[in-house]
Amino acid sequence: MNGTRGFYPGLIDLASGQISREIFVNDDIYAQEQERVFARSWLFIGHESQIPNPGDFFASRMGEESVILCRDRAGAVQVFLNSCRHRGMKVCRYDEGNTTVFTCPYHGWSYGTDGALVGVPYFREAYHSALDKAKRGLVKVAQLCCYKGTVWANWDASAPPFLEYLGEFRRFLDLILDGWDGREGQAELLGGVQKWIIPCNWKFPAENFSGDTYHNISHRSVDLVGVGPSGRSRRDYNELNASRKLHVAIPDRGHQTITYVLPKDHEPQAAYQNSPEVAQYFRDCEKERRRRPGANSRLIGAPGEIFPNVALLPRQPRTLAVWHPKSAHETEVWRFFFVDRDAPQQVKNFLRDYYIRYSGPAGMTEQDDMENWNYAHAASRGTIARRYPYTYEMGLGHAVDDYEWDGLKVPGRVVDLTKAQASEEPMRNLYRRWAQFMEADSWDELMTWRRDAPPDAQAAQ
Amino acid sequence: MSDPINVRDLAVGTRLMLGTGAEVEIVSNPKDGVWLFARYLSSADDPAMVGEEEMVFAQDVVEVRS
Repeated sequence: MNGTRGFYPGLIDLASGQISREIFVNDDIYAQEQERVFARSWLFIGHESQIPNPGDFFASRMGEESVILCRDRAGAVQVFLNSCRHRGMKVCRYDEGNTTVFTCPYHGWSYGTDGALVGVPYFREAYHSALDKAKRGLVKVAQLCCYKGTVWANWDASAPPFLEYLGEFRRFLDLILDGWDGREGQAELLGGVQKWIIPCNWKFPAENFSGDTYHNISHRSVDLVGVGPSGRSRRDYNELNASRKLHVAIPDRGHQTITYVLPKDHEPQAAYQNSPEVAQYFRDCEKERRRRPGANSRLIGAPGEIFPNVALLPRQPRTLAVWHPKSAHETEVWRFFFVDRDAPQQVKNFLRDYYIRYSGPAGMTEQDDMENWNYAHAASRGTIARRYPYTYEMGLGHAVDDYEWDGLKVPGRVVDLTKAQASEEPMRNLYRRWAQFMEADSWDELMTWRRDAPPDAQAAQ
Repeated sequence: MSDPINVRDLAVGTRLMLGTGAEVEIVSNPKDGVWLFARYLSSADDPAMVGEEEMVFAQDVVEVRS
């Protein structure tokens, strides 16, 4: 990156670990983000279990804009801009439902579930049949990917395919989408999507979920109350005590996470002790997971972030959040909760109670987080406050490549937190990628891995 | 001028008279209050329309026949 726009290294100085508050509170920077980050990144739209039948739809968002996730009459998944091609009115004003057409209430233009313009009032009389309907369908996303039930979309046709965009972070997304027993793609949505607005920039939660283990002190009260599924703390930690605790950052992608690596031949530990039946179910799942081949059987998922605005929490609670930008100073949070689709109803009921006790606008842990983000944002907007950058120096120079423990190799840049407890490597990774997006004029500049790859690997991509 | 017809309430199979004088039969109703899917039973203006299925705009419906 040439840094000509000043985002890198002007506002993001990773060598010294200083990041300007302007990137959080400046309205001009926020406006540029919409074009340079959100119009070019892969964004999470929803889950196929929300639209099982032809005509089912779910009104989602990409950045600030409303989009419709729909299963068309032929059964294909579609995503298009929720804006009439005539005067821009929303053609769908419901959160979800089933329909045969999306009709604009303003002048009556009507679109099929595949986005095609099918109805124009007075088409023959007023338009003299001259309007080219084929060119006036709802605006479709340039790229769409359904991965293990999740639906992702991108407005930029030149962006790499979704799985290439994920790179080696794919295995960490799998931790939330695969079953508790390790079977592929077992996740389904539990209940509705929780939505609420918080008064802070979207990067506050994105940074936090990138792997901020340093802020555990702010959840002390929740730990003391014991909202966890065994009546202690906020999660079951027995397995974690025998694991290596890591920060993993994928430098050329901007994704990062906390993860725990279990030792070989590790036996499942007591968990979900508030219900003997649920405890037995998870014990059986964990035993089965350990029998399966593949590295993920030894990984335990923890908070992580897919660039730019999707947070993963694969375990306790199993949930995914999207930080939708609303303004420089407001974020609309959407939180999706997951269970295995064939889990017993008793397990789903137990988890629903735990999930909402922990996460969402009424969740006790999420309330702690929101208080921090909201007040931090408000206290960073002033003239004097803006002069002083935030500090991201923790663990500078301590990440390693080719990390391996007990025979398991971990991709990316890794910091072993087992003794260190915390680092800011994930945050630096997030903002490095953010600056690259803000500086780059095209995806050619952003796909550094293609330039670095040997010719045969480039051909495969 | 006759009272407006609430097309949301019209059932499949209902016959309608349109402003053009054509008669149509509803084949499906998306219940958006704006459009109906209908088959043409007669059309003096354009006889080729008979048997065709078309979207019918609510404001074009002038009479409910049955």
